[in-house]
Amino acid sequence: MDRRQFSLGMGALAATGLGIPGLRAHAASPELIAAAEAEGQVVWYTTMIVDQAVRPLVAAFEERYPNITVEFSRAGSDETALKIINEGQADRMLGDVFDGVSTFASVMAAGFVEPYSPDSASDYSAQFKDPEGHWHALNFYFLTAVHNTDLLSAEDAPQTYQDLLDERWRGNMVWPVDATPVGAPGLIGNILLTMGEEDGMAYLQQLAGQGIVNMAASQRAVLDRVILGDFPIGLMCFNHHVAISQAQGAPIDWIRMEPVMASASLLGLVRNGPNPNAGRLLVDFILSREGQEVLASTGYLPTHPEVAALNPDLLATGPQPFDTTFMAPDIVEQNLADWVRITDELFL
Amino acid sequence: MSSGTEGSTDLAARRPAGGGVDQVRVMAIVLCVILVALVVPPVVILIIRSVSVTNPDATVGGFTLAHYARFFTNPDLYESLFNSVVFSVFSTILALLFGGTLAWLVERTNTRFKGLAYVTTIISMGTPYILYVSAWLFLLGRSGPFNDAWRTLTGSFQPLFDPYSMWGMVLVEGFLWSPLVFLLLSSTFRQANADMEEAARMSGAGVLQTVWSISIKISMPAILALALFVFIRAIEAFEVPLMVGLPGGIDVLTTDVYKSIRETIPPDLGYASAYSVVLLFVVAVLLSFYGRLAKNAGKYSTVTGKGYRPRQFDLGRYRWIGDAMVLFNFLIVLVLPLLALFWLSLLPYMRSIRLEAIAQFSLENFATVLQSSYYRELALHTLVVAASAATAGIVLAFFTGWISARRRTGGQVLDQLATMPLVFPGIVMGVAFMMVFLAVPLPIYGSIWALAIAYTVRYLPYGLRYTYAGVLQIHSELEEAGGVSGATPIQMLRRIVAPLLSPAILSGWLFVFLIASKELAVAALLSNTQSQVVAVGMYDLWRNGQGGELAAFGLIWATVMTCVASLFYFATRDGDRAQAL
Repeated sequence: MDRRQFSLGMGALAATGLGIPGLRAHAASPELIAAAEAEGQVVWYTTMIVDQAVRPLVAAFEERYPNITVEFSRAGSDETALKIINEGQADRMLGDVFDGVSTFASVMAAGFVEPYSPDSASDYSAQFKDPEGHWHALNFYFLTAVHNTDLLSAEDAPQTYQDLLDERWRGNMVWPVDATPVGAPGLIGNILLTMGEEDGMAYLQQLAGQGIVNMAASQRAVLDRVILGDFPIGLMCFNHHVAISQAQGAPIDWIRMEPVMASASLLGLVRNGPNPNAGRLLVDFILSREGQEVLASTGYLPTHPEVAALNPDLLATGPQPFDTTFMAPDIVEQNLADWVRITDELFL
Repeated sequence: MSSGTEGSTDLAARRPAGGGVDQVRVMAIVLCVILVALVVPPVVILIIRSVSVTNPDATVGGFTLAHYARFFTNPDLYESLFNSVVFSVFSTILALLFGGTLAWLVERTNTRFKGLAYVTTIISMGTPYILYVSAWLFLLGRSGPFNDAWRTLTGSFQPLFDPYSMWGMVLVEGFLWSPLVFLLLSSTFRQANADMEEAARMSGAGVLQTVWSISIKISMPAILALALFVFIRAIEAFEVPLMVGLPGGIDVLTTDVYKSIRETIPPDLGYASAYSVVLLFVVAVLLSFYGRLAKNAGKYSTVTGKGYRPRQFDLGRYRWIGDAMVLFNFLIVLVLPLLALFWLSLLPYMRSIRLEAIAQFSLENFATVLQSSYYRELALHTLVVAASAATAGIVLAFFTGWISARRRTGGQVLDQLATMPLVFPGIVMGVAFMMVFLAVPLPIYGSIWALAIAYTVRYLPYGLRYTYAGVLQIHSELEEAGGVSGATPIQMLRRIVAPLLSPAILSGWLFVFLIASKELAVAALLSNTQSQVVAVGMYDLWRNGQGGELAAFGLIWATVMTCVASLFYFATRDGDRAQAL
């Protein structure tokens, strides 16, 4: 295993943060638009949170292309992959576009991803796209520890992974146990990549003794438990979700527990989908500057090099930089099964 | 079809043999073909899958017994099995005691506030489990009003009690199923003959003695059958073990399977299939007990051509206990969860119940739900699917229930076929039907009809219990009288059995409709962009942490379902009244 530091061209990003709108306005080719409009609709299998991200993106796409409607179905990574593979094997593909942190490995292995490199993504950093065009990253994530500020002040809150082993936190931490790099297995991976196999396992054994409460739900639902006050500390929560809730007045803050885990959600085209052109157009739109600005406006962290995050504090390269471990798709593919097994054996 | 001769053979021998076209036999054959087509393919596909290798590219091929070997050598199997049994036994007992007592109080005594019991039941039957479980977990949770008060007093993080425990699971599951028990047993108690009870009272027996030796014993087949249902449902239960047990570190069989499914993406369904096949055997054994019980059911039939509206017990000075129980049920199963949901629906994020939170109240969650076409589609799909499944299911259950209760040729086979879907845990049935629909050359997969067909099969056994139990309580002398008067079996079913059975048919329809409208496990895999249903939408909201929107949508949906449920409830009562006349 190797550890990769997550160093984006964030300096450049910060520099273009106030980028001049319209300067590089993207336009899909008229042929693609015409072909897509002839299809009239596109089906998107998504793993993103509907109210926070999917609805705004769909609304913007439909406003831009009023003759095409977007049907979307939200599910977890595992169900989404299962649906595509089953439909593909039965030769009855219904989806056109899909996304997810860990959907790609299995869907690609089954041969149901259509490579596509839209013009809109040509400027993307190399780590945010597959060289063959199977996937592009549409947004990225930082996952870290959070604390309820009513129950626990910033001074009292744990700051390092070692601090989590304190007797005080036994039974008072919660995390999501989805079998993805953005669930408990991601923390396992982060520890093993950072501390090495031996020290990492020794640490995890001790952590397992802390009785972390397992929730079979999204990071968002786990965060809500901490906001509610069920638990003073949450692990593996998205820092942009914290910012969204802080804006609503919730008693919550995130901890720069280094290295923070970084990951990206990937977007791709289903092979033999019923609306291949509209599918291409949707991928093109989501990755375009326009689509990424819509995503950024919701508080998500865009991957487009020229689109600034709403809240730069959330970024590893922001005003208060922090160390990260980037879960690149190939690292995930190689190790996820091991991390899930360790999660199950030690924590479930 | 000719009728005259058949009518007379019908009277002479209960099972007319040979001699031209027999309507009942044709009916049995047609039913058998339909049931085989609906029920057998998912079983076959599961068995094949359970002995097939799953390849890395997710194709299926090659024979293996590895899935079974893994099942039986799993070191955690016995702990999970033990937990499953404890969980199922105690939640069944709780549901039966609580729901059953309530049903008896409401149907057979002069307890007050009976309307509240029906209101509670009707609303709870239409409310998806996720909504209940999340509301109860909020109330009993670490930040719920009780623990919150305790923590404010002590200043510690540690709660007074932890709902994420075996007892939390039993309580939640037990209360979740008590409305079903109430609904089913109230129809049993309502239709029971009061003559024997009155005879017992006149012979000097007290209320409790009469209830124990007459009321309960008369209803024993219904009670035992119901216990078996609740027990099986608890063994298969997924929501409560997932939402309550998993955070508390308590594994049962279904969460074991869930964990095995989530180990790989996409899931290796071979192990889950093997598990289902094993469970199929276990449930088959349980069902054989039921079969033995039903064999003697004839001696329990108490409804004859006589007027049978039972008189009520006077609880006398103990009446307040009955009142208190009805009110307790109203509070626990209806008022508190609804208030909790209302609280959450008004807030931008989940907050414990504190005065200062009121400043954040807004109707934004309701506005989002009402303006979104997504929620309207969810609702429409759900109503269409649930109504189709209830109608198709109850039609099949009517004929199957009559043939098997009257022990006509093929009755036993039909009964077993129609009961078979019980052995499917919901998530496995979803997977099995997905494989079936993908394999048939019809454009069913991904449409709402895929859900309608799967729900019909899933809830057929429940509809059947209504019609079967209903037929058992109608003495066959009425049908024989029809036969003597020259009616064909079809005429007799239409003119005698169907009207007498109409309360059971309507209750069964209502029940299947309401329970299908909240089905989650089957729908999770079968619903698609064009066929999303309410329960799946709510599950996503819960998983996504959109608690406020979930609460708002849940309350609106519960209101809609209550209107629908009330219509059918009054239809059922009218049916009862018409009969009583």
